[in-house]
Amino acid sequence: MNLKNNKSKTAKTAEARKGKLLSTLKNQGLTIYNDLENGKFPQFSIPSRSVSNIVYDKKLRQYILGNSSAVRSARNMSQLRSYTQLSWLAFFVNRLVKEGKSSTLRDIYYSSQAFEIDFEDQPESDNIIVDLEALLSFPREDFHIFPEERSSVFGDLTIEYTVPGYEGRRVNLSDHPDGYLIGPSLSSAELIDTSAELVIAIEKGGLFTRFVEEKVHKKFKAIIVDTAGQAPRSTRSLLKRLNTELGLPVVILADGDVYGEHIAMVIKSGSANAAHLRELTVPDAKWLGVWATDIEKYKLPTIPMTESDIKRIYDLQKDPRYQEGNWKTQLEVFLKIKRKAELEAFSKYGLTNITDKYLPEKLELSKSF
Amino acid sequence: MSLTKETFSQISPSEFFYRNRDLAGFSNPTRSLYTSVREFVENALDACDQKKILPDIHLSIKAVDPEQPDPKPYILSVKDNGPGIEPKHVPLAFGTVLYGSKFGLKQARGMFGLGATMAILYGQITTNKPVIVKSCADGKTQDEFVMLLDIQKNKPVIQKHTTKEASKTGLVVSIVLEGDYSKAGTKIRDYVSQTSLITPYASITFEDPSGEKFHFPRIVKEMPPPPTIIKPHPHGIDVETIRRMIVDTHYQIPIVDNNMIIKVRSELGLQKKNLNSKGIMERAQKKWSGLSRPVRTVVAMMSFLNLDFDGLSKIRIDDLDIANKKLVYWNFGESKSHVVELDSESPYYKQLANTVQGDTLHAFLTKRFQRVGPTTADKFCEFAKFKSEKRIGSMTNEELVKLADALQKFEEFLSPDPSCLAPLGEEPLSKGIMKFFNPEFASVIQRSASAYSGFPFVVEMGVAYGGDIPPAGLKVYRFANRIPLLYDEGSDVVLKIVNEMDWSRYKIKGDPPLVIVSHICSTRIPYKTVGKENVADRPEIERELKNALQYLARKLAVHMSRQGMADMAKKRANLYSKYIPLIAQFVTELSANKKEPNYKQLIKKGSELEEQQI
Repeated sequence: MNLKNNKSKTAKTAEARKGKLLSTLKNQGLTIYNDLENGKFPQFSIPSRSVSNIVYDKKLRQYILGNSSAVRSARNMSQLRSYTQLSWLAFFVNRLVKEGKSSTLRDIYYSSQAFEIDFEDQPESDNIIVDLEALLSFPREDFHIFPEERSSVFGDLTIEYTVPGYEGRRVNLSDHPDGYLIGPSLSSAELIDTSAELVIAIEKGGLFTRFVEEKVHKKFKAIIVDTAGQAPRSTRSLLKRLNTELGLPVVILADGDVYGEHIAMVIKSGSANAAHLRELTVPDAKWLGVWATDIEKYKLPTIPMTESDIKRIYDLQKDPRYQEGNWKTQLEVFLKIKRKAELEAFSKYGLTNITDKYLPEKLELSKSF
Repeated sequence: MSLTKETFSQISPSEFFYRNRDLAGFSNPTRSLYTSVREFVENALDACDQKKILPDIHLSIKAVDPEQPDPKPYILSVKDNGPGIEPKHVPLAFGTVLYGSKFGLKQARGMFGLGATMAILYGQITTNKPVIVKSCADGKTQDEFVMLLDIQKNKPVIQKHTTKEASKTGLVVSIVLEGDYSKAGTKIRDYVSQTSLITPYASITFEDPSGEKFHFPRIVKEMPPPPTIIKPHPHGIDVETIRRMIVDTHYQIPIVDNNMIIKVRSELGLQKKNLNSKGIMERAQKKWSGLSRPVRTVVAMMSFLNLDFDGLSKIRIDDLDIANKKLVYWNFGESKSHVVELDSESPYYKQLANTVQGDTLHAFLTKRFQRVGPTTADKFCEFAKFKSEKRIGSMTNEELVKLADALQKFEEFLSPDPSCLAPLGEEPLSKGIMKFFNPEFASVIQRSASAYSGFPFVVEMGVAYGGDIPPAGLKVYRFANRIPLLYDEGSDVVLKIVNEMDWSRYKIKGDPPLVIVSHICSTRIPYKTVGKENVADRPEIERELKNALQYLARKLAVHMSRQGMADMAKKRANLYSKYIPLIAQFVTELSANKKEPNYKQLIKKGSELEEQQI
């Protein structure tokens, strides 16, 4: 892959997004400012996030919000408080982004108290953050607001930081054998150069380490991403950028159960919780396994499903994305065998069985679907 | 068999209690000090209650040697203004176990006055010091006794007895006992203060070992009506209870011994004269109207036995089986049992039958139970499918079970007569709560009387909210027969009911400044343990507690929503002038303006909106 040519196109993407966000914020500010000046009650029109307004878009291949929206007005006495909270958050995010500082969801809850904005509890402030995401159509990571959970990435990828104090500094993500945390600085970094031809997202930290030890990144020319269970949004955002900015295909390895299957699905086509956001999905991502059919094929040791596992299968069978193809087939097989296998199950046949045998076979197979 | 009995009777009651003192709450110095305080204070209050005297109680605890570390000997003394005890009764009342005036079916704090003697006993065992009792019963002289208990003989040993002039009735009891005030102090102070809450007509003063005085003044000047002694209620009566009631209702066959024969002779006017059986019968018929019931019965039996007085002295009547018309007796001379057929045509047969079979069911119901009149008795007999003239003594076991069952199921009995109970009453309870907690809201309820297992009970309850009550979560004050219950809170039925309540339904959230006062009055409180600290969960009591609590919670909810609306109006009043300037401040920076927008007009519009809405 010729990255030299790509660079001019991809570089400064992060910078551009930041500029777009700041101007959107400023426009919102100006509108409200003028309303106040003219003795008019300002209002926000926020896309509704109620269940009835969440629909699956087959063309975009992800969940999106429908057309209905809710008006939050400063005129309405019962909305005045949350209106003020939302305008405070816009103001605070503007500062965060301009000053290049990051904060956590919890930080936001506490920061509000310095401005006489009283959130009753953190869920209330978290909710206002989602409102702002929906209003501006930017994910909170762009606001420099991050959840506590972190996942990691390893591989031959050079990035250039944009966070204050590190601007312009470059780092190669194969320099540290434990990998790099996908945190605020990595999320806002520019992707510069890579020799990789593939991204492997894997559900578990233990196997992530095994893959590094077994030099999977070299053998398969891969960037390895540990999703640490259900992939956090910053991780999904990175996978999306690796896919679109660097043109790398993404494959997913997760436990052989209904949750593993859904981890792959969320990376591919998003979650209902984040239906108000785009840019978080990798529609071409491929689910390598572990499939229900692999359990039999590779004679993996299994454990029985719990009742909640089975209930989850029934739930997912109602989801429009599970109505056809391999996704549907695998759910049916899971339901039939009522047993599951973890990624570690391959260790029965030796610690390197998964990297030496299973992974190459599945990668070969994936070319055909 | 008789040997075992002999061994038991050789242990005196004092000795029995001494050996089992743990059961009565005297397990360690901490608990013993607390229990002793309780027993003396409760006796003093009971004494005043019985004579309708507004109680004035002085309690003091002093260390014999303040320098010594705990546990150590303390002098506990309780003084009251009650009726006092007549000097001749003092040694027995305080020097023996099982002497008291509190027997009978009515509500009182203690049951038999055992506790005070236990405390005296405990004091004597731990410090070997005598009890000092000063009593004035006539308002003129005060008798002072210094005495010890002879545990084995269950007898008082008076060391000193003096008298002096006095002007008021009352009793002072002091004992020296080993205690641990450093540990028991909190509970004792709680006990005294909570006692003043549930006894608002009493004035109580407590002087602690450091000399600090706690005074709880009288809040109400009127005493609740005193309890009376009553008959049982038909609901919840079991077969065994009925059997016992029947045994002492129906007239026993008189024991035919020498004394009885002398009585029969004298009533017939045959003290000296010996007649044959026929002659005796003739004499009896002439004198019949003047004969007492037992003599009539003996004569009736003689008529079937064909005996004279000499013959009568040689036999023992074993059984009178009316159902099978048989009389069984034992002849000492022959050492042999005889059976005589009874002729039901004989006029004497009816006399025997009436005697043995006792009252009719109708009479039994109206005489032996409370709240049962002739009409109710008739209705009941119909309901239970018994003839109302059926003799209760003739009932078979199956019929008794059927009767007991019907007594429980018949729904037309009036609810039990609560006159044997002494609830505090809504007004004194409410005044006590207001004075004690100084709340922003309070409400009380006295439920109508109910019964469990034949014992009537009444539940009184109060809630208090806000005011001086700290917002530290719900606190429950439990009382039973005007005694505060302080230990073993967790397993109590009141706690169970309070915890099962869904408070959020009544607008109570978080750690509310909320107090619940629960008072259960009964002729017998179903305590879980001998220590009398927690009430067992009987379904009937649970139901009453739940109803009382729900009633009060609804009252509280009304108060809360009124309160909530007032708060809301206050908050809204400044909503626009609070938030609009904040919004202005944020968007000025957001839109990169230097000067804040002029939002005065908007705040004016806002306050107009507020006025419209309020």
